[in-house]
Amino acid sequence: MQGDIKIENFSVTRGKFRLKNINLKIKSGEIFAVLGRTGAGKTVLLESIIGMYAGKTGQILINGKMVEGIAIVDRKIGFVYQDYQLFPHMKVYDNITYGLKMHKKSKKEQSEQAENLMQLLGISYIKDQYPCTLSGGECQRVALARTLALNPSILLLDEPFSALDPATKQKMYQEILNIHEKFHCTIVFVTHDFKEAQLLSNRVGILLNGELKTIVNSNELLTSSYEQDVEEFLGRK
Amino acid sequence: MKEKRDIFSMITIMIALLVILFIGSAICAIIIGGFPNLLDAFSSKEIRFAFGLSISTSCISTIVVMVLALPTAYALTRTNMPLKKAAGVIIELTLSLPFILLGLSLLILFSTNAGKMLKDIGFKVIFSPIGIIMAHILVNLPYAIRLIRTAMEEVDVRLEFIAQSLGASKFKSFLTILLPMCKHSLISTTILTWSRALGEFGATLMLVGITRFKTETLPGSIYLSISTGNNSMAMATATIMLIISAVTIAVSNYINHSKQLNRGDR
Repeated sequence: MQGDIKIENFSVTRGKFRLKNINLKIKSGEIFAVLGRTGAGKTVLLESIIGMYAGKTGQILINGKMVEGIAIVDRKIGFVYQDYQLFPHMKVYDNITYGLKMHKKSKKEQSEQAENLMQLLGISYIKDQYPCTLSGGECQRVALARTLALNPSILLLDEPFSALDPATKQKMYQEILNIHEKFHCTIVFVTHDFKEAQLLSNRVGILLNGELKTIVNSNELLTSSYEQDVEEFLGRK
Repeated sequence: MKEKRDIFSMITIMIALLVILFIGSAICAIIIGGFPNLLDAFSSKEIRFAFGLSISTSCISTIVVMVLALPTAYALTRTNMPLKKAAGVIIELTLSLPFILLGLSLLILFSTNAGKMLKDIGFKVIFSPIGIIMAHILVNLPYAIRLIRTAMEEVDVRLEFIAQSLGASKFKSFLTILLPMCKHSLISTTILTWSRALGEFGATLMLVGITRFKTETLPGSIYLSISTGNNSMAMATATIMLIISAVTIAVSNYINHSKQLNRGDR
């Protein structure tokens, strides 16, 4: 299952904010972290990858095809927002099986797939609950299960750990690595936590004020030398 | 700090009580004046006709209004339709106009050659029950669009985007995400639209007049009773309208409340 992402000279404007001339290649199966301050454009970059915004210049290619040219359902991209965006009027089970229903899978398939995912993520005990009754960690697991139900080739995670307590965060790190191993999908996640980026990703891109300043291997993140603004962001100057 | 908050709460309670007294006294005046003649009103053929006509026209117009308002509000909030802002302004301009003027505008519109052509093919608006429905629609459509638009704007578009990324078409995401999330507002809008249609008078008067056993609605009947000096019958008819309103509000509250309980909303 291919999940190549290629971003070429991509610029997009959202209100007063502009993502400027982004160039980035992410190989299928890679875990890539986008690191940056709040308001740097990390979420806009993820939303652009899934094809939410048409670029002002440049293009985004998924497996060699322009993302806008692929029907949204055929993009095979899963997206988990920072605030999870669970469907509040549906129970956990219905949230997870939503995509399967839309793909007209049989009730049996829906049930099997949902049970497997709920077991994998340890959320079987909340299957009949509504999202408003769940904790942050539970919401996140449900959002992941909903996305993984369709076996996406690319998983985009918008600040997946920022709202979690330290203990849940540690559990979720392992959860994400397990998911990567099991589903072999490309994972792009945004964070402002250096350690998180280093721990989970193969490579890290640093995004500052809408510009992708540098891309480094995660194990070299804190040892490489950078331009002054990146050094400042890393707290070294 | 606590004391200040208590004083503030006391002031709001005082104002709320004054408001209830003000509205309640108007309701009491109607009930006190109308209750003794309620049986007479129910036994009057004319009132029963007006009741039937009011209920049927307001039900039909409410269905038409909701069917038109839903896609319009969607287009205004979820699409890149051309001249969206201008369209929004045009729709809401009529909200500040007196209903009698809206009725006059329809009268002028349906008195044109196009209106006469419609009459020739059987769509008679002026001085006919269809005109009552048309008057209701013109009066209520901008109002319903405004309410539904506000409800739709409150739903995060990212929810629908997520639904679409999971395989839902735009129509499916509208049906399975947006509509259920606006459910309470849609129920309220339907009830309010229907109540407003039931009580609409100005536009209807201008477009279809009040002809006994033909275009006489409950508000028209009240007007006729007052103009003939029969205030007690007017109050009795108004009491019937109050009973209808009370039942409607009770039903809508029950629907909303039971759905909230089922969902476990907190």
